[in-house]
Amino acid sequence: MNIIELENVWKIYSMGEVEVHALKGLSLKVKPGEFLAIMGPSGSGKSTAMNMIGCLDIPTKGRMLHEGQDIAALNEKELVKIRGKKIGFVFQSHNLYPTLNAIENVQLPMRIHEFGEAEIWDKSEELLGLVGLSGRARHYPSQMSGGQSQRVAIARALSTNPLLLLADEPTGNLDTEAGKEVLDIFSQLNSRGVTVVMITHDEKTAARANRIVRMIDGTIAS
Amino acid sequence: MKLLDIFLLSLSHVKKSRMRSWLTIVGVIIGVASVVAIISIGQGMQENVQQRLGGFGADIITVIPGYFRATGVHSEMHTDRSVSTSSSINLSDRDYRVIKQVPGVLYVNGLVSGKADLKYDNEKTVVSVTGVDTSVWRLMDTTGLDEGRYLQAGDSNSIVVGYNLAHGTFLQPITLNRPITIGGKNFRVVGILKQSGGFGGGSDTGIYMPSEIARDVITEKVSNNQFTSIVIKASDATLVEYLKADIEQKLMSSRQVNPRTKDFTVIASALIREQMSSVTQTLSFFLSAIAAVSLLVGAIGIANTMFMSVMERTKQIGLLKAMGAGEHEIMKLFLIESGIFGLVGGIIGVIFGATISLLIPYLGIQALGFGGDMRATITTGTIFFALGFSVVIGILSGIIPARHAARMRPVDALRYDQ
Ligand SMILES: Nc1ncnc2c1ncn2[C@@H]1O[C@H](COP(=O)(O)OP(=O)(O)OP(=O)(O)O)[C@@H](O)[C@H]1O
Ligand SMILES: [Mg+2]
Repeated sequence: MNIIELENVWKIYSMGEVEVHALKGLSLKVKPGEFLAIMGPSGSGKSTAMNMIGCLDIPTKGRMLHEGQDIAALNEKELVKIRGKKIGFVFQSHNLYPTLNAIENVQLPMRIHEFGEAEIWDKSEELLGLVGLSGRARHYPSQMSGGQSQRVAIARALSTNPLLLLADEPTGNLDTEAGKEVLDIFSQLNSRGVTVVMITHDEKTAARANRIVRMIDGTIAS
Repeated sequence: MKLLDIFLLSLSHVKKSRMRSWLTIVGVIIGVASVVAIISIGQGMQENVQQRLGGFGADIITVIPGYFRATGVHSEMHTDRSVSTSSSINLSDRDYRVIKQVPGVLYVNGLVSGKADLKYDNEKTVVSVTGVDTSVWRLMDTTGLDEGRYLQAGDSNSIVVGYNLAHGTFLQPITLNRPITIGGKNFRVVGILKQSGGFGGGSDTGIYMPSEIARDVITEKVSNNQFTSIVIKASDATLVEYLKADIEQKLMSSRQVNPRTKDFTVIASALIREQMSSVTQTLSFFLSAIAAVSLLVGAIGIANTMFMSVMERTKQIGLLKAMGAGEHEIMKLFLIESGIFGLVGGIIGVIFGATISLLIPYLGIQALGFGGDMRATITTGTIFFALGFSVVIGILSGIIPARHAARMRPVDALRYDQ
């Protein structure tokens, strides 16, 4: 079974008289264990598609299946559950919770899902180690560089053991060196079986994925 | 999410924007402090009035010569002094008998009051002397004896002394059996009254003796069949209002006066007390309303701060939702935060308010201008009411912003400020 299946998905925003078609009949399948890169020009609907994949948004038309389950049929509570337990998000910027330090940020999803205190601490320390930031555990987001923040965000996205990691331009704000570190982590995770979907503008970044999907004007360019 | 974790997350916000949090809390502090202070002052005022007027007894009616055209509390307050000196008219035997015949009257006591020179232990002073009917005085006195006995029939050189006169006037306190010279006549102290705390000195600074004797010692001239005032005890306190009107009616016809030429005044202290109570009650009600307005301003301050932080944190709300936080959790996050503002503001406000209340007596403000200092009474009830109220207000003013935050759709929230 595909982990994600978009079937002829439309997303239409109506802004008064004008209608914006962000997605126009997008169909896409993501298999478990895949490392997929989504590319495309600005405004082509990449972020909209990713929000759909992450169950943050519901299609205007068409179907979006998560592990075969149509998300339009789920209520907010069930969507919250899927988002929290199965999916990890890394956004382009402003990823971290500014009033919490690095390790508290990593712990936040586990606290939301009421993990045991021992597990919360073991796991958060392990994950900070994985992204190479054990020494920064007590640093606040404002005290860290963009690359460090991004790595904390990845550690946080992994804390609830998601099957699917979604990253919207995770290296967009980073220099080549920091970007490479982040991509190394993704590859490593993917080799452990985590499905990764990553949006990027950059060909070199996309080349790290197993498969590249190109979007133009709300649908897949063939 | 566990409540403790939500609480800690709320706390991290409060701590991060410290300045704004404190300013919000200051708004609550001002509101709560003024509510506490005003309620305490109001209660103190109430007790003050009760205590000062309490000495008269609920079933006592007093008739004095002279009439005040002005009605209302104020004119009735300054009784003896202004009247008996300004008017030479006294009440007579006949008035006494008329009153005695009014149904519902239990005892009647004709008083002869005035000033007299007093000599005690080589000290001299002027005191107010009240001559009483020894047969009924003991039955009507509301102050009570501290030591000794009341006057009795046959007493001619015996006196009973007020508490403050006995204990605070002379170098050597007056004790039982002490000889005292009043108006050139020698007396022996047979009793000392309890402290009444009544207004205007009341029984505390006075001397009591049989009325026949008092006529001789006081400097004022009161002839044999006259009284300076007549005190009546009703058979039942609930009759007082009716009895007052009845006595007024009967005296008017026997003295052949009409309401315009009326030359006496009937006072029921219970009625005055009721009036005073309702005056102070209304006063503290209005003051409380003003205080409540400042609490409302504090609440608006909280709501404003909460709205601002919801706006600022739109992105974080999106993040929390993407991490799997539900509406309830977001809601609680903000409600706890506004509750913290209410609680902290409430605690500090209560401390401030209590301090202000405690300082009131030292400011020496006169309560309603009838003697005695203003004081405040702080009860635990007031404190818990203020605390509970401020927490509730904190939470209530957080509800709308919190709901606003909780209902945000994650996509919209995440898109904000990108
Ligand atoms: N909430 C919204 N209301 C109205 N229009 C929207 C909304 N969200 C997205 N759009 C529109 O949908 C289209 C696709 O937006 P989207 O963010 O998916 O593009 P993108 O491919 O991620 O672009 P970029 O590479 O610049 O991030 C754009 O034209 C955008 O203006
Ligand atoms: Mg985008």
